[in-house]
Amino acid sequence: MAIRTTTLATLLGGLAAAPALAQDLTISVYGIAQDEYREALYEPFEEMCDCTLTVETGNNSERLAKLEANAAAPVIDVIAFSDAAALEAANAGLLAPLDMAQVPNAEDIYDFAKDPIGGGMALGYTFYATSTVAVAGEAQIASWTDLLSDGVVDRLALPNITTTQGPLALYMIQRALDPEAAEAGDFTGAIDLVAEHRDEIVTFYERSSQIPQLMQQGEILATAIGRFAWPGVANLPVGAEWIIPEEGQSGGLNVLAVVEGAQNVEQAHRFIDYWLSEEVQTKLAEMGADSPVNTGVELSDDQAEGLTYGADMAEQIHFLPPAVQIENREDWLAQWNEKVAR
Amino acid sequence: MTDTRRAGLMLIAPATLFILVGFLLPVGVLLSGAFRTDAGWSLGNFVEFFTTPLYLDVFFRTFRLGLTVTAVAAVLGYITAIAITETSPSWRGRLVALLVLPLMISPVARTYAWLVILGRTGFLNTALQTVGLTDEPLRILFTETAVFIGLIQLFFPLMVLPLLSSLENLPRDVIPAGRVLGASWFAIFWRVILPLTREGLVVGGTLTFVGSLTAYVTPAILGGSKVLMLETLLYQRVSVANDYASAGVIAVILIAMSIATNFLLKRIATTRRAAR
Amino acid sequence: MKLAGHLFLAAVMLFLIGPFVIICFAGLSAGESLAFPPEGLSLRWVIRVFEIESFRSSFALSLALGIGATLFALILGIPAAYALARYDVPGGEAIRNVLTAPIIVPGIIVGLALLRHLVIPSGLGVRLALFLAHSALLIPYAVRVVSASLENLRPDIEEAAILLGTSRIGAFLRVTLPNIRNGIMAAFIIGFITSFNEVPASLFLTGPGVATLPVDMLLYMEFNFDPSIAALSGLLALMSLTVVLVAERLLGLSHYV
Repeated sequence: MAIRTTTLATLLGGLAAAPALAQDLTISVYGIAQDEYREALYEPFEEMCDCTLTVETGNNSERLAKLEANAAAPVIDVIAFSDAAALEAANAGLLAPLDMAQVPNAEDIYDFAKDPIGGGMALGYTFYATSTVAVAGEAQIASWTDLLSDGVVDRLALPNITTTQGPLALYMIQRALDPEAAEAGDFTGAIDLVAEHRDEIVTFYERSSQIPQLMQQGEILATAIGRFAWPGVANLPVGAEWIIPEEGQSGGLNVLAVVEGAQNVEQAHRFIDYWLSEEVQTKLAEMGADSPVNTGVELSDDQAEGLTYGADMAEQIHFLPPAVQIENREDWLAQWNEKVAR
Repeated sequence: MTDTRRAGLMLIAPATLFILVGFLLPVGVLLSGAFRTDAGWSLGNFVEFFTTPLYLDVFFRTFRLGLTVTAVAAVLGYITAIAITETSPSWRGRLVALLVLPLMISPVARTYAWLVILGRTGFLNTALQTVGLTDEPLRILFTETAVFIGLIQLFFPLMVLPLLSSLENLPRDVIPAGRVLGASWFAIFWRVILPLTREGLVVGGTLTFVGSLTAYVTPAILGGSKVLMLETLLYQRVSVANDYASAGVIAVILIAMSIATNFLLKRIATTRRAAR
Repeated sequence: MKLAGHLFLAAVMLFLIGPFVIICFAGLSAGESLAFPPEGLSLRWVIRVFEIESFRSSFALSLALGIGATLFALILGIPAAYALARYDVPGGEAIRNVLTAPIIVPGIIVGLALLRHLVIPSGLGVRLALFLAHSALLIPYAVRVVSASLENLRPDIEEAAILLGTSRIGAFLRVTLPNIRNGIMAAFIIGFITSFNEVPASLFLTGPGVATLPVDMLLYMEFNFDPSIAALSGLLALMSLTVVLVAERLLGLSHYV
């Protein structure tokens, strides 16, 4: 039962690929931690179902584009997306509603992961917090707006608007300025504030892996990152700390969905159910691959260090609703490009 | 005659067909996308591109950096090339090898080195502060200066090597002759060396300017999102926003600029020669 | 004047070569993060480079691609360059423009165009697309370098061989080819190195587990921050240095660049 990792192209062309057996499954996921996934999820599932799993990887936008291109003859059965990308796909009619009766493990996940994009179209499988990080003793961050205060702002890296973290950071800055506008997706105040300090800010990063380097080289003292990037920062000799400002922290949720017109709907549900099981979620968390949404997962402090773990943590996260993201993204981007990027 | 013509065509056909079908066709289709909107064929994408302040900024920045890099590389390139011609032949060989060497090394490795050098606590800032030239560390990374430095290093050899080969073709005695006649160094350069090495300058200038316009790795690593250039903007529009219309427009602009540069500089080289 | 010239040359060479020295030392760091001067010296990151699975596979891909695409470009390019130099081909100038067109087109556009309008509609594999893209990008070099060697070779020795009863192909294989051998070797090395270092065109042409080495380095930098990239850069620089020194000694490579 070898796993065939095919190229996007063969999947797309479809012509070259042998017709899949009725039981076989094709999934589309992010490219990270695939070794861990293979061990904790793919191989055990193949044992169980006596079928072959084909894995396609890529980021949100490229996989969404392929999904759209293949809408007439879908090749993917199960797809992993950010909540916003999943909603976009659902709105375009590319996803099929889930049959919750076939996913009993969904009972055991956090409430916010149970129906994150509405209509029972998707289930959250992992989540992460996004908050501020600063070199201990060098930058005082009590509020998100402190990132833009004197003495901090000229040693600050913010996520670029084009990254997933970008809107989350703006959301929290906006919450500090005017929570009501923030909830409505109006980030004008936050973008204006960032624009005002545009020249002082060191960079708008596009890869969170840049952060450890920038911090270690003394380029920056503070930033906002997702928890998944924290392990790289936590052990730096400069001594960084994860700070949750008074407005709290934001975060993101990744979800699983079944593709509309999927070959093998039943198997797809079984796969999602298995992924959400306490067993798989525990294994993935212990390997540090993904933060668990299953409430039954128990982790030691060490194991939880790089993850976003526990009901308390989940409680404090202000998720930016996917509908707000989709509705306002063009506007944020336009404002950002006009005021900040130029 | 017709036989050799046919033989010639048959020898050329495979390469030509390969480029036409495997290369120019897909590129052509991509470029044609720039001229299409939902409403059919139109220049709408170009209008939108050139009325968006951010894109205009990126366009002018790319152009400005390309010109600056080329001009600075040309001035330093002449000094370098002349200095090299005055060394002994064995040293000349070694120096040329040193010039060629960076061209053979991965641009990723070349650019990465600057990350270590230009940082706030990097080699350069430490040196400057130790010597006492600056009190505060200079901010160089993620500025146009960093991209400029990276590009100069990347393309400098491509400027020097053609200059060197045209300098070596100069008649051996023009410079001493000029000196004997009492001309200043500047006059010799302006009246003798420059006209006679114009072709080398054109080749080096084209390679440097077009190379700077279309560099990806250097602006991506050293400039980041605050110093977008056309090539990094194109990648961002495609990978983040699936915006193929803008990508097509940028592609058209880049190719037009490359062709125009080649054409213009070639014209300059040949007309001046004819006029002489 | 002379001293000033030498000092200037020294400064220029320091600017061109210095960064590589620095990156080599940074790659020999014993510490966790990239820095110069390094925190102690060790080979741990050099060893780490060889342990990273994706570097191994992308190195193999880049190697195969460099050799395969360059050979293919030469197989197509040598006859074309020969015909352009020796025959009165109709539309010769236009054909020369077509053959050198790939140099004019920025790499990133090549990659995007091939992905959107060749790979996706035809279901072509990513590896094959990389091969096509690299071959197309190398043909101009092959044509140019081989043309330059042919121009330096007087056509009459070939004509003489034909007059003496050899066929045209025989004359090409036995007279012309040996005489432009150095040019072809130079074209091969330049082509290989160009392909091996190519980034923009390969940027879009990646798939799961399929990336060229420099693109893989960029991807690795997206998720990791440690001196292994510096160590790998240093290793690549040393590899290039060896190739250049050997090639310069054997062929006088700098005449062709």
